Amino acid sequence: MSGFSLERGLQALREEMDAPVASFFSSCVHCGLCAQACPFFVETGDPKYTPIHKLEPMRLLWEREFTLWGRLKHLVGLGRKVTDDMLAQWEPLLYDSCSMCGRCSLVCPVGNDIAYMIRKAREGMVASGHAPEGLIAASVRAVNTGSPMGLQWKTLEVQIKHVETSSGLEVPIDRQGADYLVLLSSMEIINFPEYLEAITRIFDHAGVSWTLSRQCFEATNAGIQIGSKDIAATLVQRVVDAAEALGVKNVISPECGHAYTAIRWEGPNAIGRSYPFRVFHIIEVLDQLRAEGRLRTEGKEMDRLSMHDPCNLARKSGVIDQQRHLMDLVADNFVDLKEHGKFQWCCGAGGGVSSNERAEALKMAAFKRKKAQIEEVEPERMVTMCATCRTQLEEGLEEFNMDIPVVGLTEMIADHLVEKERA
Amino acid sequence: MAVPIRPQPRTLGDSLRQNGVSRRGFLKFCAATASMMALPPSMAPAIAAALEQARRPSVIWLSFQECTGCTESLTRSFSPTVENLILDIISLDYHHTLQAAAGDAAEHAREQAMHENAGNYLVVVDGSLPGPGSNPGFSTIAGVSNLQMLQETVAGAAAVVAVGTCAAFGGLPKAAPNPSGAVAVSDIIKDKPVINVSGCPPVPMVITGVLAQYLTFGTLPELDAYNRPMAFFGQSIHDRCYRRPFYDKGLFAETFDDEGARKGWCLYRLGCKGPMTYNACATMKWNGGTSWPVESGHPCLGCSEPDFWDAGGFYNAMSVPVGDSGNVLLAAGAGGLALGVGASLLGRHKRAAAKAGHETVTADELEQKL
Repeated sequence: MSGFSLERGLQALREEMDAPVASFFSSCVHCGLCAQACPFFVETGDPKYTPIHKLEPMRLLWEREFTLWGRLKHLVGLGRKVTDDMLAQWEPLLYDSCSMCGRCSLVCPVGNDIAYMIRKAREGMVASGHAPEGLIAASVRAVNTGSPMGLQWKTLEVQIKHVETSSGLEVPIDRQGADYLVLLSSMEIINFPEYLEAITRIFDHAGVSWTLSRQCFEATNAGIQIGSKDIAATLVQRVVDAAEALGVKNVISPECGHAYTAIRWEGPNAIGRSYPFRVFHIIEVLDQLRAEGRLRTEGKEMDRLSMHDPCNLARKSGVIDQQRHLMDLVADNFVDLKEHGKFQWCCGAGGGVSSNERAEALKMAAFKRKKAQIEEVEPERMVTMCATCRTQLEEGLEEFNMDIPVVGLTEMIADHLVEKERA
Repeated sequence: MAVPIRPQPRTLGDSLRQNGVSRRGFLKFCAATASMMALPPSMAPAIAAALEQARRPSVIWLSFQECTGCTESLTRSFSPTVENLILDIISLDYHHTLQAAAGDAAEHAREQAMHENAGNYLVVVDGSLPGPGSNPGFSTIAGVSNLQMLQETVAGAAAVVAVGTCAAFGGLPKAAPNPSGAVAVSDIIKDKPVINVSGCPPVPMVITGVLAQYLTFGTLPELDAYNRPMAFFGQSIHDRCYRRPFYDKGLFAETFDDEGARKGWCLYRLGCKGPMTYNACATMKWNGGTSWPVESGHPCLGCSEPDFWDAGGFYNAMSVPVGDSGNVLLAAGAGGLALGVGASLLGRHKRAAAKAGHETVTADELEQKL
């Protein structure tokens, strides 16, 4: 074990220099549109938070070692070098001021996927020892205990007992050959236990064959957030092993944004093979049930509701219409935020920002964009479908003394199910 | 028996009548001139009135490094036309080819014209001249270098008309490698209006049109970026070409004897420079309106454009790169490609090496950072 060093970090960055990175760096036209798309820049006005600038160390290395001119300049002793100091200076830019929400990638006129490169640049930060403490701790806990918050099965078991008592239903555990393996996030288990009860009731209502797995209940992936493909692969592998052990046909990612992109999109690349099962976000499954007529609801929410689209779900995965179909099912007075769907603004807490205590102030600064959006439509409550977004919305609204409760969409659906006639 | 002395005509109108041009023919010419200069038809009587009253302007015609083709074009018509009558009645006081006088008498005629009409005469130049930096002996008249004669003659002129591509842009003498250091009139004359009537040779009507405008209005015509009269050089050959519909349909003659050539299809692929050439050939035609190059089945050479001699082969389509630059570009492109491929291979190698040497990040290792 050599430990983390500058050279190891640079080596990790070199590994990430693929064709997309090369073409992105060479096609940047320095227009600055990405700055206007970034909540961290927009709310602070500090030019160092311009998204493409956050990649400067990686760009320098690319120019110096992967371009002809850069190499020639290097030969005659010109051009800047990436130093350990520089990486230390960029650590807050790459972690604290970026939730990898991908809005910059969306607006880039030359199509540069900046969020994709931020993810790669973080590999170099981890290997050079410049990852934030909060994320390191979360990663260590995730690998060692199975949960980034250090949660263990016995904690979940208590919740399961509680759900079973309150709903009178059985929560299936380790059921071989079930259609769906349900994963959870630690955040939900601790902050929003109503989620587990909601899906227990919905799946019972719709007659869905599902199960939890003792072997792996955690869907979140600290490796994706800190930017280590090795850690990410370890965590994805656990999900895959559990799903394969139970022989399930589908895996459901919980109300969590990055967990979904981690398993759905990054996972197969991380472990280097395709899955023998399909991956859905819970919202996709619910909308499928709705379309099949398996969700019978009664009554509607009458207050003015608006919705926050999680970046990972809407912008990065195209899950946009599904949650709106579900809202139509149970809400009478639903109004979208002005910029929603793929152009929505990030809550400010994703991409590991919420696990990084140092980023607290920036996280709240970025939230001001969301706050302004909410103020525009003046809803009585906000609905969302990501535990991190939900926590951030709750904390942020409280911080600004806005009395707007936040609810999870899955729970709201569960509240409107037609009661089964008990035999 | 004494030969009756024909009175010297004082005005253009007198001259035309003496030459037997009917009033009707004269008005037709004025209407044609008006339309050529893009003036409303109502201006034709004004032109007629002005021309009838116009005094014979003195014109000094200087011929430098030229082939006399421009003069031939102007004078060798199949039948007497109003154009050459106009030439007859301008007071052409000095012109190598046409004047009877020779030697000192000829040069004396020039000096006298300059003296008598100081500030009012027109200088017409055909041919380019050796520039200030080259040997003045390359082209002289009566022992005077072209450059000196031009400067002297133009000093008292109202305006200069550079007739032909040589005078206007340097033409054939200036073609690479330009052994005589030839320059155009406008390269030398900066303080007088210079009107370029380019073409190799120019359409005769264009020369007379410019003179007619000067006589009529006492003004010089509106000029394009190359100081050519807009009325004649405002549109490209291509835009006014009667073969244009074939171009638009993509029907091209590929050789001079194929079916397309016989059917009169577009000559673009045979090297027609019509799209980049601004001139009046397509509308006014040549030899008294008989025909013009494209109509006779030959592509336009682009003779009224600057440096047309050096603009690649006459029979290369315009899309073919000029000269060697095509090959140079190809070589540069190939070189760039090779460098790029090389650089990217090195880059790939570097990335592969980094991958091969990948040190796995473990939780234990991360924990040491806490």
